[in-house]
Amino acid sequence: MSEILKIGLPSKGRLKDETFKLFQKNNLKIKETDRNYLSSIKNFKPNEVVLSHAREIIERLSDNSIDVGVSGYDLLQESLPGIKKNISIAKKLSFGSADLVIAVPNAWIDVQTMADLEEISFNFKGKTTGKLRVATKYPNLTNEFLLAKGLTQYKIVNSLGSTEIYPFTNQSEIITDITSTGSTLKANNLKVLKDGIILSSVACLLVSKKSLKNNNKSKIIHKLLNQIKKL
Amino acid sequence: MKSKKYSEALLKFFIKKGFKVKSFDNIIESKIIIERSGEIFKRSLLSFEDESGKSFSLRPDLTISACLDYLKNIKKGIFKYAYFDQAYRRTFGHDSLVRNQLGCEVIGSKDKKVDQDIINLIDYSLKKTTKKNTVIKLNDLNIFFSLVDSLDLPLRWKLRFKRHFWRPDYFQELLKRLSSNSDLDKSVFELDKKTYLKMKKMDQKKLIAGRSIKEILQRFEKKIREPRSKIEGKFISKILNEFLKINCSLKKAKLTLEKFEKKYQVNLNLNKINIFNFKLNNKNLIFSTNIGRTAEYYSGTVFEIITKNNNLNLASGGRYDSLMQVLGAKKSIPAIGGAINYNNIKN
Repeated sequence: MSEILKIGLPSKGRLKDETFKLFQKNNLKIKETDRNYLSSIKNFKPNEVVLSHAREIIERLSDNSIDVGVSGYDLLQESLPGIKKNISIAKKLSFGSADLVIAVPNAWIDVQTMADLEEISFNFKGKTTGKLRVATKYPNLTNEFLLAKGLTQYKIVNSLGSTEIYPFTNQSEIITDITSTGSTLKANNLKVLKDGIILSSVACLLVSKKSLKNNNKSKIIHKLLNQIKKL
Repeated sequence: MKSKKYSEALLKFFIKKGFKVKSFDNIIESKIIIERSGEIFKRSLLSFEDESGKSFSLRPDLTISACLDYLKNIKKGIFKYAYFDQAYRRTFGHDSLVRNQLGCEVIGSKDKKVDQDIINLIDYSLKKTTKKNTVIKLNDLNIFFSLVDSLDLPLRWKLRFKRHFWRPDYFQELLKRLSSNSDLDKSVFELDKKTYLKMKKMDQKKLIAGRSIKEILQRFEKKIREPRSKIEGKFISKILNEFLKINCSLKKAKLTLEKFEKKYQVNLNLNKINIFNFKLNNKNLIFSTNIGRTAEYYSGTVFEIITKNNNLNLASGGRYDSLMQVLGAKKSIPAIGGAINYNNIKN
């Protein structure tokens, strides 16, 4: 195994900005890269920073092609057990907080709780769609939650983006999505069910368990973790 | 006796009684199960797609395979299946993906004696094969359904309890909710009432995310009309909890249930229940209202066979008259079956 520490950081958006701020305030200087997805921390032991999609960081930590990474707790929990088991959470960070929620159209005034949803799910049987369709980017967490809340009569529709419009474009009836302030849901005439919070998420500093088994690598990882004190 | 010999010996008993050993298709079209059962089965299926995008799955359960075989090849009349084969399911890290299943099913028989015959057969063959004394535990899920029907509850709650009887943890959650929460959140109710009045004036046929305005408003009105007090909820939870604790000898079961009916002024329709009249060869018979909670599709008689010494489960099964329709039959086809707990036998 190479002694160069491989670090996976988010490549775009608020998660990237907040992560870079975190490293900066802990005196870890990431080289400016412009549009290049490879970088490094200037004032730390030999390392390589790979800028990737937050979902990909989870996968790469699992297959050990990176040693440390920053990604969302939601994405870690969404991943399959075989992936999750290879990753440990080193620190929960102070940014990226958001909830994964179940949202239904505002006009469904008779539906306030998951029990209501379970009940109306049976009414889709005779309709053209056949089942209550749930659009989501989080099929695993959604399935787990819905089944635990007694819902069995539904169908997952995998979504890659703009999930909020699915109920109004006949692509699904309800959605699950990640929200930090709820404003996007509101703007799209959706409401969160009273007991519809699936998971509360936050950005996390994650470590590949395999890297921790390598003594030399483990020492470098702990040095990095110890340096990141100001969260 | 080695495990293979156990399975061969058990199958011989079934064959003697007219059961036919069948092997089933390894691969089934996923939509047969998914379209009818939803995500609950889908997540445990081991599926893959062919080059045209059509989804197939390894057979997840041999009772389902027997039903599908009946629908495809037998179509009508009585067929008695026996099998010892493998089924394949996701286990989410708990167990092996491959399960050995040994069992028998009678599909298409309207004869009420079939229930007692299949229980007698499984019990007898287990005793002969394992040389262990057994106890048979019995229940009929219709007793529970009758109890729920006679409770003073809104229809939606009755349906909830019936739908989730087979999921004990969630059922307990429902009981807790019944005795604590109200169906309507008063803080959001006033806001919703304004929307309600607006929606009243709109085109009632208009669809909002697959539901018509008429449908939404009707259900909203129904919820307002059927308020449920916490006190009533607590009392009903108590009745259901007490019912689910009934566990006595089969001989005393009818009398115990009649007392329960009187105490709580409920009707269990006991005159329609056959298990009290079963002629079973085993004299160790227990009635328990809490069995048959392992599979969604059970609909009437349910049974478990356990060892007398250490309560080890050797077999379980029951009637599943509505499963055939779920899997595509145009009308209800009576069916009953039992599965041998193969791991406990070989150990």
